[in-house]
Amino acid sequence: MEIFDSLMHGFAVALQPEHLLLALIGCTVGTLVGALPGLGPVNGVALMIPLAFNFGLAPTAALILLVSVYYGCMYGGRISSIVLNIPGDEPAMMTTLDGYPMARAGRGGEALGLSAVASFVGATIATIGLTLFAPLLVTVAIRFGPAEYFALFMLAFATIGGVTSGSFTKSFIAACLGLLLGTVGIDPVSSVARYTFGWYELYDGIDYLVALIGLFAISECLLFLERDQHQRVAPMQLGSAVPGMRQSLSCASTIGRGSVIGFIAGVLPGAGASLGSFLSYVLEKRWWGSKGRFGSGDPRGVAAPESGNNAAAGGALIPMLSLGIPGSGTTAILLALLLSMNITPGPLLFEQQPEMVWGLVAALFIGNVMLLVLNIPLVGLFAKVLQAPSWFLMPMVVLVAFVGVYSLNNSPFDLYMMLAFGVLGYVLRKLEIPTVPVVLGLLLGGQMEFNLRRAMAITGGDWSILWSSGISIGIYLFAITLLVAGLIYAWLVKQRLE
Amino acid sequence: MSDDASVSHAALGDRIAGAVLALLALGAWWHSHTFVTGFMQPVGPGVFPRLVSVPLGVLALYLIARPGINQRWPGQAALVRQLGMLLLLGCYGAVLEPLGFVPATLLATVLLMRLFGARWRQALPYGVLLGLALFVLFEFALGIPLPDMPGWSV
Repeated sequence: MEIFDSLMHGFAVALQPEHLLLALIGCTVGTLVGALPGLGPVNGVALMIPLAFNFGLAPTAALILLVSVYYGCMYGGRISSIVLNIPGDEPAMMTTLDGYPMARAGRGGEALGLSAVASFVGATIATIGLTLFAPLLVTVAIRFGPAEYFALFMLAFATIGGVTSGSFTKSFIAACLGLLLGTVGIDPVSSVARYTFGWYELYDGIDYLVALIGLFAISECLLFLERDQHQRVAPMQLGSAVPGMRQSLSCASTIGRGSVIGFIAGVLPGAGASLGSFLSYVLEKRWWGSKGRFGSGDPRGVAAPESGNNAAAGGALIPMLSLGIPGSGTTAILLALLLSMNITPGPLLFEQQPEMVWGLVAALFIGNVMLLVLNIPLVGLFAKVLQAPSWFLMPMVVLVAFVGVYSLNNSPFDLYMMLAFGVLGYVLRKLEIPTVPVVLGLLLGGQMEFNLRRAMAITGGDWSILWSSGISIGIYLFAITLLVAGLIYAWLVKQRLE
Repeated sequence: MSDDASVSHAALGDRIAGAVLALLALGAWWHSHTFVTGFMQPVGPGVFPRLVSVPLGVLALYLIARPGINQRWPGQAALVRQLGMLLLLGCYGAVLEPLGFVPATLLATVLLMRLFGARWRQALPYGVLLGLALFVLFEFALGIPLPDMPGWSV
């Protein structure tokens, strides 16, 4: 019942008018950003961070705003999948498979209504999971010392290759690159300047937010400039969303399965919403076999991935909040926000700032209801926004990013840095080297090194402390298992392709 | 989100990237020896960068030996547009403080919209609208002191 009490206190925090308003703003902005093709939760949350700073928001309020954007994006991603056949963000990719055929058949409104309910159920189940499991994980994590934390960071990086699509080599290269970039600046332990080459602007290290916005938002715009700019989108008759809500009853079992699978995929380090929606869709398709019409407008093909990706988004918050280790790009950005506000997530956060953690969890429950309410009547409005021309939307994104980054430190140097990271992100994406591990390396590198050095300081330089406790050996074994499983999976996929 | 049509088996990009990264790893390793280890520090400031540069170097060499898949590189027209955007934004950063926020931003919004395919009669009104909206949002709603135009102050 302790959890229940904490959650009630959380609701008291989340129901303050300021927090409710921020959640509403976040949900609306998130749905819009998620709906815009190419702008996923990563970009949405990254762009909101400078705004949150400039509003002078307290950490709890800023976090509520950003997770509302995050949840909103997961809802919004489905809209352009269904209406335009372009996934609004990566996790919404699976939704195009059955959502667009439904829309073509004049059942777009139905698909949007059904997917809104599926998203709601998925996200709610995941938030309940977060409420129950995060405190459990905290009771284990509270016993972690520096050596165990170091092992945990190794786990995060070992598993990263499994999911960020594509080659293991490239994922690990990206992680190493991020870790190396993370060492730039004055070393906090010895006060030695590392890799600054006399540039005093680099002494504080590379600003996470500048790097993030460059890697994601600027590189997205560069990629966009390559595409054919004269694609016109034909408006489409959506029809009513009401039958979709009724349909969700007949898809209840699909939604339930999708939510659970998505949640598990979200909790695993390095996995994330894309895996969640992929697994839910594939398993659901196999479950029904020839009885389903998957791929040609089966409502279950909309319900499964949407419940899956929203559940995964909630699940991914668990390792971020209770261990301080993000499982996805977006949770990495949330971590960056917290670190910039001098708050270190992890087991201590639950003890020292329970009102923040539980306020956040309560805000997620409230935000979910808001999103469902927003998404049923306003879906036509959101679908209209998609038809705004890209020559207006993309410059807007670039300039919000630009002015936002400038306003952080009032420094033109940050702007050039952001452009440099934009080019880096673009080149990496062209080379199919994932950018999320770079961000994780940059973010976690400092903590990883700090824990390594603390462990060494305890033993006076004896490296065996790293694998001397049961917990750390367990973590290493788990990491190796996941790594091997990922390698085998990649090998199987390759065999299948050839 | 890459569609299959734009993926090509171009090993060259990976090989170049591998070579650059291998050099980077080597440089990072070499440079890390200049970091002075303090008194009573079992692990100095150079150890962690070295620990990272070893796998980076090894993986980069592996990438040279076994390159993977790259996406197709942009054509000349796209490349010009991309360089245009970078140049435009770079100049924007440079003139932001000397010119002041409003003129610099108005120029940037109009030109960016042109770059993203708008006609002049679209880019001019909407660019001015967006520029002014950004000014109002950041200066008044968010209360950030933006660089003033010389001789003006809000």
